[in-house]
Amino acid sequence: MKRYRFPLLAALAVSGAAAAVDRDTAQLELTQAVTAVQSAERDDAALYSPSDLDEAHAMLDSAQSASDHRDWDNVALYAERAKVTGDLASSRSRQHRAEAATAEIERTVDSLRQQLGDAP
Amino acid sequence: MRTSRKHWLLAAAVALTLAACATVPPGPPPEVARLQSELDRLHSDPRIAGNAGPELANADAAVDVLARNARTLDTRAYTQGVYIADRLVGIAEASALARYAEQRGMQLGAERERLVARETRSTTVITQTPVRVEREVVVHDDSGQLVPRDRAELLAMQNQMPGVESRVDARGLVIRLGDFMFEPGRDALTPPAEQSLDSVARVLAGDSDAAIAVEAYGPDGLAVARAEAVRDYLDARGVDGSRIATRNVAYRDSIASNDRRVEIVIRGDYR
Repeated sequence: MKRYRFPLLAALAVSGAAAAVDRDTAQLELTQAVTAVQSAERDDAALYSPSDLDEAHAMLDSAQSASDHRDWDNVALYAERAKVTGDLASSRSRQHRAEAATAEIERTVDSLRQQLGDAP
Repeated sequence: MRTSRKHWLLAAAVALTLAACATVPPGPPPEVARLQSELDRLHSDPRIAGNAGPELANADAAVDVLARNARTLDTRAYTQGVYIADRLVGIAEASALARYAEQRGMQLGAERERLVARETRSTTVITQTPVRVEREVVVHDDSGQLVPRDRAELLAMQNQMPGVESRVDARGLVIRLGDFMFEPGRDALTPPAEQSLDSVARVLAGDSDAAIAVEAYGPDGLAVARAEAVRDYLDARGVDGSRIATRNVAYRDSIASNDRRVEIVIRGDYR
């Protein structure tokens, strides 16, 4: 099961603890974001949730650009966005695949019911 | 004099308090109110509430933290909080709906098995009737046009594959496996695909003359791998793989760039 720590991060932001991010933390966020986006690609998000995947890529680009400028606060900010949007793309891909498979089975069940003269 | 000054100060304090109240609208900011409304919708949807996992709890927690602290956050932190909470709500909805669809798919799969068993029992007598009789007569379709005898044979084959998505067209009997019959982005078959192929193999294993092709659509590497996976699966179930041709339908020929279906074509002879 995936563990999300965004509520915790939100709480830290509220307390001001997330105001300054060091390099190691930012790089860790960036690595996790890359993993999430790659995972979304493997889940066929390009087919089933292309707009979310595009946005995750855009956020990842922004994070990497901020990393080039050693702007660790923005690296963390955009990496968090890329990660959560990549996770969203994966979730929507899973939803669409499950719904398509179910619709397929439903069609065959309806067809079989018709052949057997069953009421729908 | 002193009393009137006191009254003036009191009036000023009341005015300031009222002004302060007027500039801070009651309740959460609109973005947070929208997120709370979205969460209410998810909780009241039985498909989601009944399949809610940790994702919905995470979304609840994120929106709750945001609502309690929205007025004290600076713009950057607030915007980030809204962005993340919004995606967490989306993840909660998609995850729950995926679980709902998967459970419904399992129920329908069991129903399909039950119906297939009934269909098989009810058609046993029909399928035991020699097909040769059909081959020796001219068969007509509803439009009154002549139908090649091999078409009738293909239709008989199709009838022996209940629960399999198939059609008879100009190429022959075409059995379709949608993209979702494979693991995402891979050539591994899913259980529903294996069920369909088991039915196909049962029919083809007893027919050594049928010309079979597996045509896969989509990106080269994936399409070829999926076509070979289907061929190998059939081969392992008694259909000689050496008589199964595999073909990758080029990407440009596909109906759409995201068309990744695989079709098994049992060729017809419509001379």
